[in-house]
Amino acid sequence: MRLGCLTPGVIDVTSPVTAGRESTDIEMGDMGMAHQTASSRRHPVRVFAALTISIGLAASACGGDDGGSSADTTSGGGAETTAPGTDSTAVATTAPPPTTAAGVEAVPGGKLVMGIEADTSSPWRPYEMICAISCYQVIRNIYDSLAMPNGEGGWSPYLAESITPNEDYTEWRITAPADVTFHDDTPFDGAAIVDNLERAKTGVVTGNMLTPVTGIELDPADPMTAIVTLDTSWASFPLTALAGQAGMIASPTWMAAADEDETLKSKPVGTGPFVYSDYRPNELFAMKKNTNYWNSPYPYLDEIEFRPIPDALSRRDALKSGTIDLLHTTNGQTIAEFRDTQEFPMTEIANNAEVGYTLLHVTQEGSPLLDRRVRCALAYATDEQSLIDAIGAGVGQIASGPFSPTQVGYLEETEYPIVQDMAEAQRLIAEYKAEHPGPLTIALATTQDNTSRTTAEFQQQWWEEAGFDEVTLDQIDQGNYIVTALLGNFQVFQWRNHGGFDLDQQYQWWHSSSAPEVGSLALNFGRIRDTRLDALLEENRASDDPVRKQEIAEEVNHLFATECYNIWGAYTTWGIAYKENVHGPTVFRLPDGKEAVFGAGMAGTFYPMTIWIDQ
Amino acid sequence: MRYVLRRFAQLVLVVVVVTFLAAVALRFLPGGNDVIVAIRSGGGVTPEQYQAVVEELGLDKPILSQYFSWMGDFLSGDWGTTWTTNQSISTEVKRALPISTYLMVYGQFVALAFAVPVAVWSAYRQNSRFDRVATTSAFGMLSLPNYIVAPVLMALFSVQRKWVPFPSTYHSLWDDPVAHFKAFVLPAATIAIPLYAGYMRLLRADMIGTLQSDFITTARAKGVGTRRLLFGHALRPSLFSLVTSAAVNIGSLMGGVVIVEAFFLLNGMGRLTVESIFRHEYPTVQYSVVILALIYVGINFVVDLAYAWIDPRVRAGRALG
Repeated sequence: MRLGCLTPGVIDVTSPVTAGRESTDIEMGDMGMAHQTASSRRHPVRVFAALTISIGLAASACGGDDGGSSADTTSGGGAETTAPGTDSTAVATTAPPPTTAAGVEAVPGGKLVMGIEADTSSPWRPYEMICAISCYQVIRNIYDSLAMPNGEGGWSPYLAESITPNEDYTEWRITAPADVTFHDDTPFDGAAIVDNLERAKTGVVTGNMLTPVTGIELDPADPMTAIVTLDTSWASFPLTALAGQAGMIASPTWMAAADEDETLKSKPVGTGPFVYSDYRPNELFAMKKNTNYWNSPYPYLDEIEFRPIPDALSRRDALKSGTIDLLHTTNGQTIAEFRDTQEFPMTEIANNAEVGYTLLHVTQEGSPLLDRRVRCALAYATDEQSLIDAIGAGVGQIASGPFSPTQVGYLEETEYPIVQDMAEAQRLIAEYKAEHPGPLTIALATTQDNTSRTTAEFQQQWWEEAGFDEVTLDQIDQGNYIVTALLGNFQVFQWRNHGGFDLDQQYQWWHSSSAPEVGSLALNFGRIRDTRLDALLEENRASDDPVRKQEIAEEVNHLFATECYNIWGAYTTWGIAYKENVHGPTVFRLPDGKEAVFGAGMAGTFYPMTIWIDQ
Repeated sequence: MRYVLRRFAQLVLVVVVVTFLAAVALRFLPGGNDVIVAIRSGGGVTPEQYQAVVEELGLDKPILSQYFSWMGDFLSGDWGTTWTTNQSISTEVKRALPISTYLMVYGQFVALAFAVPVAVWSAYRQNSRFDRVATTSAFGMLSLPNYIVAPVLMALFSVQRKWVPFPSTYHSLWDDPVAHFKAFVLPAATIAIPLYAGYMRLLRADMIGTLQSDFITTARAKGVGTRRLLFGHALRPSLFSLVTSAAVNIGSLMGGVVIVEAFFLLNGMGRLTVESIFRHEYPTVQYSVVILALIYVGINFVVDLAYAWIDPRVRAGRALG
């Protein structure tokens, strides 16, 4: 299954972890929730599934297409590697070549070819991107973000030297470090931050995220500092806004040039560990090592080439054929296969996972989905576990709500019906039809991925059995899937989203301020307009009390369960499989000394700059 | 010469019709200009931006004016950029065209290279063991759609043996001939297998008829050797159906190429066109379709001339008596 999804804000993540292969570099940091690895060659240990997975109905969804499986997870901390050797995880540091306990040094050089699930490119200027996972996986090598989620559940400055709030979190000062330049030698300074954030305010995705921002200006007393003012107290502003797409920083010189020449938009220029080299739609995105990268000793690789291979099984075959060195997937069949294989180590990422689900447009005029009974009937009629078993090869954990086990607000049990109850579904539909004579029809959108289609066909069958007169299936190509969701031109939509660890990271997806009318681009795809939900999100945004934030998140979870705003599927696990000579992604230390979360703080992504290859 | 001119006039007419339909197709999309502008600009545009897009696409002009404007851009190579990936459309087409061309040429070449000798020998040795094996296996190959052949070949030669890469990556023939042929061997084989079967059976049947002709009997009586008899006397008059079939197959090949390119992830014209349709990249679709149409009518024009060369009766307008 696939899914992918817009994750503009940043995202998630949690714990550290990583995985390594027997000779990993790094020592282990806080293993938190990481799950580790075991050698697939010698110790075909099944990493556990608890955090893993799920296929989900939703299996499909935005993003690439991994056929079968499950839900993916965020690249957050939980990573498990089925790799040989011990479970040592390692944390790469910014110090010179990290070494493992065994004294193995990371070796610079080499080229990595990675198979990704989709070529979801868009104009590559950060404020214009409409990205799914693969897009982020690619572009995060070119751009650094101002902040980054750390392994402690908070955030740390990354490209920015410092990010400091005033007392009530309504003003933030972002300071650029000295001596960092973009790939085109443009200096990174306060003006660059201002230019990027001002453009981000105008972006379809980033603008929605920065709605509370009322002012962005250069500090008259310090050309390296930008001052951002907000119309509300926003304690997690750096995590929610600056660690994600809105905080990605591109060269102002390049962005201005691209204003005049559209073809430049596909040749991004940032400060990141790799420099753009070539881009051919649907074929490859190539980049070379930034030899002047400020975060030495990264990157290790001389070159990376990303190759979009939409079909999950084809991507697996490409790894087996030797054409690619590494892949990412949420396909349950592939993950299950690589767990057992003796040939390819695999790192699994399951912490702070996204949830695969079926998104409902709940405020469309005339739609039966306005009625809670109809929405809940869809939930009762769905047998998610059978999808996990049949389509996801059993790789998956059924979801009881939007928050996965390591996220704040997760509840093992909610009012949401995770077990199919067809009789109850039929009763609710009959009740609705008695009050609303006439045919009851609904349209279910899915991608062109076979697994997603199969999932949709199961749903179609169940829902018609529940009493719908007709459930039509609309297959939409991946390129237009996200746009369709943004425009709200749907009734029921397979999707995947909501990774992260702070409820504030879901604000733009659920708050009514992100839910304009159909036809306008909106991040609150289902156009949920619930004053109770709004109030909870707003209170959480302003709060810096962890206990209260936990309570709020749990209330949100209950609210979703009772209102049946979405049909939950399964929590997503990502598998990162690679050749034996590749040392998989690891955790590294941020400039403030804290560990970064494993991966890039976004489901399905990680930092290739930590990867190295035996030469 | 009159024959050539008549065929050329037909070609020009087809080209005009195709280019006209492609140029004005945007006017007939469901939703009209609003949808086109939304796709082009991502929605939320100002009236000025809306108008700019309409003007850019010539949707504010009379239909003939739009056509001539579009043709002007087409002929000058000013095709603009793709809407979602900001690539030069002409560059994209130039990148994709050789891939599809090589694929079709290699597929046809391999099919013909095997089909002709096998068919000739099968016809000559009709009902022999060789003939029975050849015709039976051709039957089997005809029943194999390329979406079956492709994964089987890939599993055998890419995944298991690792002899050829998957996905296929195009390399210029001149820069890296080995990588070039490695990239095309499985896609071309996928196309060639069903083509071979069809060609072999077609040519075999015609050859059998030809070999029963009086002039062949006469040649035999004169002591003409087998090789010369088959390839010098019998083959040429037997080629008519094969050439027709090969030409007609150009059209179906374009469809087959889409599947094969998608399967092996070769970024040729087929994949470019299909992906552009999915992404609503209408200008790319317009130019791609016209390019494919030009290739198709161009090849058929050449084939018509080949008919005349193969059978003088065609030139004389007496083909059907």
